[in-house]
Amino acid sequence: MPVNCIDDKVVRVDAEAKARGEAKYASDLSFPDMLYARLIRSDIPRGTIDEISVPELPEGYYFITAKDIPENGRNELWMIAKDWRCFADGDVRYVGETIGLLAGPDRNMLDYLESRIEIRYTEREAAITIDDALAVKGGPIVGEDNVLCSLFCEKGEKMQSIMDRADSVFTETLETGFQEHVHLETNGAVITMENGKYVIYISAQCPFYVRKSVAGLLGLTPEDIIVRQTTTGGAFGGKEHFPDVLAGPLLVAESVIRKPIKLIFTREEDMLFSVKRHPSKVTYRTALDKEGNILGIDGTIYYNCGAYLSSSYVVLQRGVFHANGVYDFPATYLKGVGVATNTFPSDAFRGFGAPQTLFAIETHLDHIARKFGFDPAEYKSRYFIKKDGETVTNGHIVEDVKLPEMMKKIADASDYFRKVKEYGIGSGKGIGMSFYNHGGAFTGNGEQAIIKAHARLVKTGDRVRIEVGSTEMGQGFQTSLRKIVANALNIDMDQVDYDNPDTSLVPDSGPTAASRSTMVVGKIAENCALEMKARWNEGDFSVEKEYEHPDGHPWDQATFRGDAYLGYGWGAACVEVDVDKVTNEVKTTGIWTCHDIGHAIDELIVHGQVNGGVIQSLGYASMEKMENRKGHFRQSSMSDYVIPTSMDFPHQEWFLVDNPYQWGPQGAKGMGELVFNGADAAYVDAVERALGITVTKIPIPPEDIEEALENA
Amino acid sequence: MGVNYVPETLEEALLLRKAEKAVPLAGGTDIMVQHRRGLGLAPQPDFPVMIISGLNELRGIKKLDDGSVEIGALSTAAEIAASELVPWHVRKAASGMGAISLRNSATIGGNIGNGSPKGDLPQPLILLDAEVVLLSFDGERRMLLDEFIIGAKKTALRDDEIIKSVIIPPHEFTYSYYRKIGMRRANAISKLSLSAACTVKDGVISDFRASSGAAGPKVIRSREAESMITRKPVAELEDIVPDFLAAWDHAISPHAMPKYRRNTTARMLTEFLEAVINGAEPGIIGQEAL
Amino acid sequence: MLKSITFYVNDSRVVFSGNPLTRLIDILRDELGLTGVKEGCGEGECGACSVIKDGKLVTSCILPVGACEGSHIYTIEGIRDTDKGKCLVDAFRDGGAVQCGFCIPGMVMAAYVLLSENPSPDENTIRKAISGNICRCTGYDLIVESIRLAAERGGDLWV
Repeated sequence: MPVNCIDDKVVRVDAEAKARGEAKYASDLSFPDMLYARLIRSDIPRGTIDEISVPELPEGYYFITAKDIPENGRNELWMIAKDWRCFADGDVRYVGETIGLLAGPDRNMLDYLESRIEIRYTEREAAITIDDALAVKGGPIVGEDNVLCSLFCEKGEKMQSIMDRADSVFTETLETGFQEHVHLETNGAVITMENGKYVIYISAQCPFYVRKSVAGLLGLTPEDIIVRQTTTGGAFGGKEHFPDVLAGPLLVAESVIRKPIKLIFTREEDMLFSVKRHPSKVTYRTALDKEGNILGIDGTIYYNCGAYLSSSYVVLQRGVFHANGVYDFPATYLKGVGVATNTFPSDAFRGFGAPQTLFAIETHLDHIARKFGFDPAEYKSRYFIKKDGETVTNGHIVEDVKLPEMMKKIADASDYFRKVKEYGIGSGKGIGMSFYNHGGAFTGNGEQAIIKAHARLVKTGDRVRIEVGSTEMGQGFQTSLRKIVANALNIDMDQVDYDNPDTSLVPDSGPTAASRSTMVVGKIAENCALEMKARWNEGDFSVEKEYEHPDGHPWDQATFRGDAYLGYGWGAACVEVDVDKVTNEVKTTGIWTCHDIGHAIDELIVHGQVNGGVIQSLGYASMEKMENRKGHFRQSSMSDYVIPTSMDFPHQEWFLVDNPYQWGPQGAKGMGELVFNGADAAYVDAVERALGITVTKIPIPPEDIEEALENA
Repeated sequence: MGVNYVPETLEEALLLRKAEKAVPLAGGTDIMVQHRRGLGLAPQPDFPVMIISGLNELRGIKKLDDGSVEIGALSTAAEIAASELVPWHVRKAASGMGAISLRNSATIGGNIGNGSPKGDLPQPLILLDAEVVLLSFDGERRMLLDEFIIGAKKTALRDDEIIKSVIIPPHEFTYSYYRKIGMRRANAISKLSLSAACTVKDGVISDFRASSGAAGPKVIRSREAESMITRKPVAELEDIVPDFLAAWDHAISPHAMPKYRRNTTARMLTEFLEAVINGAEPGIIGQEAL
Repeated sequence: MLKSITFYVNDSRVVFSGNPLTRLIDILRDELGLTGVKEGCGEGECGACSVIKDGKLVTSCILPVGACEGSHIYTIEGIRDTDKGKCLVDAFRDGGAVQCGFCIPGMVMAAYVLLSENPSPDENTIRKAISGNICRCTGYDLIVESIRLAAERGGDLWV
């Protein structure tokens, strides 16, 4: 069936090869004379390295360390900041920090050699939690106070004068834990040489990030390195910057060894020694009048960044910009602080800082509503922001906000108001509702000032090849971008090609992150396609375009004032639970969501994204507990860090509201992260009502519910 | 690091056991996981292993003349869950063990030989006074499973013995109860489990028993606590419950057990005993049958 | 004592003489090139490495080859071109079950066993049958619906 209409459901282009087991992931690659590699890591959280004792290596085996970085190279990985070292040198700052890379042809021998490497340290007291960092436990890790980054935003009347005239101030602290991505494919890469150039095959979201990050290790330019993305078995942010931590040591090793080298993490390594979602601690002081109306909210937001800043400042910014939720309060003062600890650096994870503060504000508002006897959903809806409403950065909402309509959809479908009355508080049954949003693409003028994305279309005969740096990682972009281009060209989708990117062949379209691919790269590609259509009869040619920022939306990155985002995705979620009062086991009995993602490019892909994001969020709220004791993650496998199975949550009912976005391709906005951002709070709301408890920390497995019951 | 073997006959296996102290591997779901070394590498336990999955003498589930059920050591969790000969508590536990693929591999012999307090099968088997049959060149010996499992990962298996089968004596319970709490609703290791059973005749509790899994270094059955209820009239049960719960709590928590597990155990026992007190319909209390 | 293990993979005879604790997955992927079998966890928890051994679903990452004597093993490569395998692959494709795809070959194997035993399962039966196959992308709904689609489309194929 010829397909080009944007509203036709299409079949994903990558589905068949994946289902048949034919798609090649990094671990499936093999080259002649290939060596295997293992990373040798720190097993203490903080200290100096006194001695590294390496057994005599058989011929063909190598141990690569910081000493192998050439004189014109720099021992740093460039991930927005440049503080993350490729190899620890002299000291270590967290458990799992790369000290060396062991390579050789036989994996049994590598295993043996690894067991014989001994590293002696002088250990120092480590700071693990946000509180440890603020108390400067063991002395500062950075600066004098462990503050890696901070910012504030202010809107409305001065907070002090609001607090002074408030009838009451409701103060509470809400916390979220580490979350591990658990992409089913662990991290992996293979490096080799082709025609004198370094070629890295890697499971990654951002091939251009990889080459930029590692080139400096050898004093090279990014163009000296070719990065080819392999079929990527899930990422969720875990393969945004983290692949650099594999690619860096591999590049240094390749400069010495000059043979193909393969590095694939086991699940245990991927659990213990990879980035996680930032743990957070958010304290709100909310000024209220006698009737429970909000006069102003003062929020202090702490994120645990781990040992290096890397991309955490950007994560923190997004956390602060989402810390007032989907609401227009008269005044807000929001301060964000990212602290350094001796834990594995925290990094991107679907939502990129927004889920933590959205959980906090939703749960906080629920608690205020219940204190004053209001229905939480109804109470929150009084404050829904509207078009032209002022954001926390003194910018304005550009689009129509359809939250009232979205709330009605899920309230009707779930029979929310009847169930609220029927279940009451503490009956064991509960229903909860949350609202959330997600700013699309890079914050502020990032797209315009920093990323400057390009996309190119190449016409050969009646076929068109899409050349972009954006990647397919499961989210469906290879299908939706083909659809956008085919639609604009009015040709069949089958005439459009789009391969996994090779950085030597395609322009840099910016990272595949920040829910920006469809909204930003899709728009550039659409613009290319429209020009190509007009010139269709010119024969074979190509069209390349750069991102164009709409006029009239100022942003000041120095003061964080202005339009932080030009478009938001919006969401509403309702979750119903039945809690077993004998065991505190929570059975989720219903899930209803409604999202505004502009105009959907493909409903089947959107359906899958909604389902998957919502379940990840419910896992985050309920069962995904990652603890860190003395610098070591306690959960190291898929049996002790559990993520949802097919039996844990029921079939979801989902809705969209159509709200075409003026600057998106065919009206589309970003949606990949949005769908993660809110079901957690609805779940917590439902559990709180079912048991009459107050929850201030997620996840809430049955043990933590027990504690909350005792405190109730 | 040991050498590993695949015996073809039971005799070969016994010889390997005696001469090499080879540890039997049946489904491999414990040894292969505990000693895993990563991609492309065979697990490398520091003891010799013999893979006995091909020994058909150790398979099969059959009813014995005295009404007992004998389950061969190589019977998988899936086979046990599907067998109508097997008592309900054990079938229920077998059907909730791990995921389907695990149940197709994991065996009863391995599950009890591993001696993990989190193992799914020992808990209901101990409730039912199951015995384990151990085989060596000296012949067979039988002992209560409760005595066979000494502590966490410790059993009374001799260096020359292998587990041949498990024998469960017959029971007729009026009420039965089983619950397992995992970290999620399927494919989960047990965080806490409880079996209970009781027989009521003419208003008197002729038999009461309970066993707690994952609640200590081994499965806990407190005969002392059970005896507070056994032979008491149902009418008196309500007054006994508080003391019984205190006694059970004492039995499971000598080592600072987390509150959640203690409280939940007490609530599960209460749920069961309340059904008995209230004269519930005989049968399974609390959960769906299978 | 067996000095070598003889078994069948996708109907081809394989003779292995080496450490009997060698993981079946390593033979399938590294020796036989059957890379449709994926390693997600290495401890039998995620199901990505699922294969069918003598009609039953097993995880090949914790199955020692020494336990495979005389067995018939099928991987995704062995079923994808059969009528049943095609029916499943088509349904997974058309039903939107595939995102990153890493869990999918194992998921197809689980569905193959399910439908071979129960040609018209209800939603809960499907959810139970794939509960050992972890997917991080889809939230499972579209996988469940795709398996139902394969049951409907396959009809007599599964009986």
